[in-house]
Amino acid sequence: MPWLECNSRRIHYELAGPPNGPACVLVNGLTQYVRLWHPFRDALVAKGFQVVSFDMLGQGQSDKPSLFIHQDDQVEVLGRLIEKLGDRPIFVAGISFGGVVALRYAIDHGDKIAGLVPMSSFAEIPAQLYMLGAALRSGLILGGTSFLQDLLFPMNFSSEWLDSMRHLIDLARHRGWLANDVYALQNLMESFLEFEPLTDQLSAIRLPTMILTGEYDFLTPRPLQESLRAHIPDSALVIIPRAYHAFTLEKPALTAYLVTHFAEDVMAGRWRGKGSIWVAPENVGGELTPFPEGFDHMRAIPVQTQAPELAPQRKATAS
Amino acid sequence: MTPFFGPLEHGRIPALQQTRVSAFLISAHGALTRQLGVAIPASLHHGWQVEMHSQYCREMEILSLLGRATSWIIDPTLGFQIWQWEVAWLPRPVAGAADRTQGTLIDLAAFGHALHTVIRPAALLPEGFPDEDPFALAMRRIEFESGRLMQAQILFLKGPQLAPVRDAVAAAVESRHSQVRELWQDMLHSMEIDTSGRHSLVPAYQARGQPAPVAAQPSVAIKQP
Repeated sequence: MPWLECNSRRIHYELAGPPNGPACVLVNGLTQYVRLWHPFRDALVAKGFQVVSFDMLGQGQSDKPSLFIHQDDQVEVLGRLIEKLGDRPIFVAGISFGGVVALRYAIDHGDKIAGLVPMSSFAEIPAQLYMLGAALRSGLILGGTSFLQDLLFPMNFSSEWLDSMRHLIDLARHRGWLANDVYALQNLMESFLEFEPLTDQLSAIRLPTMILTGEYDFLTPRPLQESLRAHIPDSALVIIPRAYHAFTLEKPALTAYLVTHFAEDVMAGRWRGKGSIWVAPENVGGELTPFPEGFDHMRAIPVQTQAPELAPQRKATAS
Repeated sequence: MTPFFGPLEHGRIPALQQTRVSAFLISAHGALTRQLGVAIPASLHHGWQVEMHSQYCREMEILSLLGRATSWIIDPTLGFQIWQWEVAWLPRPVAGAADRTQGTLIDLAAFGHALHTVIRPAALLPEGFPDEDPFALAMRRIEFESGRLMQAQILFLKGPQLAPVRDAVAAAVESRHSQVRELWQDMLHSMEIDTSGRHSLVPAYQARGQPAPVAAQPSVAIKQP
């Protein structure tokens, strides 16, 4: 089992795939640990990528600092792992909290990687996200990891997926509870207490960037992804239909397909971000389609110049 | 080595495992209770002293619960181990603090923090183990309460009053963590239990399409685990 030493801390990581191919580094979300990436990782490996996944400080099998975890330390760990991969195309994909770490790395060291994929991520913490984060922290403190997971399940996944997993939810909760420690999760959450918005620094990210967002993600909703798109010059925003926050778990094959598609475009010199907006296919192998012109991608309602006709019942009410 | 208690004896956690784990917990929580009892003044003047008093009472509950919920047997190895544990829990005023009183309080909080964070007794229960088993329920309640009890220590140790001595505080907490972790793991290893394997379990998300494993029983008194 490989370990990385960083500032006297031990970091657990996994390597999979051919050592000479392009590399992809995966950065965990808050309650995630390495093992959860496996289906996603395997799909990337099948496409010839070497994949690195790791437990951040405070997660899984990596060291869990007892009182304080600094985001700078997470960025440094990511940098050390990237250094180990040598000189070849390296892509970094981070989800949610991990996306923030990836963004911070790219702001300072963008020249060392070929492409960036922030997924369900954010560069600022507006009031909604702040209050949600504070409520999740209170939930953790008062009810423990299981209660936090109870709150996160419906935020992360669709009803269809939760229904299909119903018989495994208790087990999922238990395994997540086993892998996570309350104090370490609390330290990770509290590493945002001194968070300064990254928005003004995003323009320093000059590399190809594909921003992935779930159509229905209400934990880190569209305006947060839009801010990334608006400030990262060579970025494109890709909306995954019917996806919520944790689409790497709910739709691992599709997400891996999108990431490999992006990486292949970048390596072939075909990538043109230009702040474009796309809709991902529903299934692996489908085409990305440009977001329809004349519609506002920030709205959940398709805003047209001509109002749609009201249903009869609504008409009666309206009159 | 296994990450959980077992193999089960007639569906119950083996009495030797219950005895050894409970002896460790009583030793550690007992030491913390005694130290809290000494540190709490007869008359309370600060908010944190109220928290400390609350902790003292909760620790007493944990001790009482362990004494009654455990199936005890005679374990000849315990004499030496308890002596070893008790020596380890002795107060160690933290060097670098403003004064000896502060140094003692930091050590007390660091010990409590380590005890409530490093030790996860409920995580030793086999998956799907019945809730109604008194020992299992005691393990779950202790771990659940630890999540709340550690908050007072976190508030104190991370608080602004200790900001000037933060390095000393961090070193003291890390040291207590290492000590508690080492003794806890040594005790578990003596029963062929190794908790590092818990991270290698297949996540439930990846068990789709396979027969449903034995799910955890619906919790009754406490929501988790």
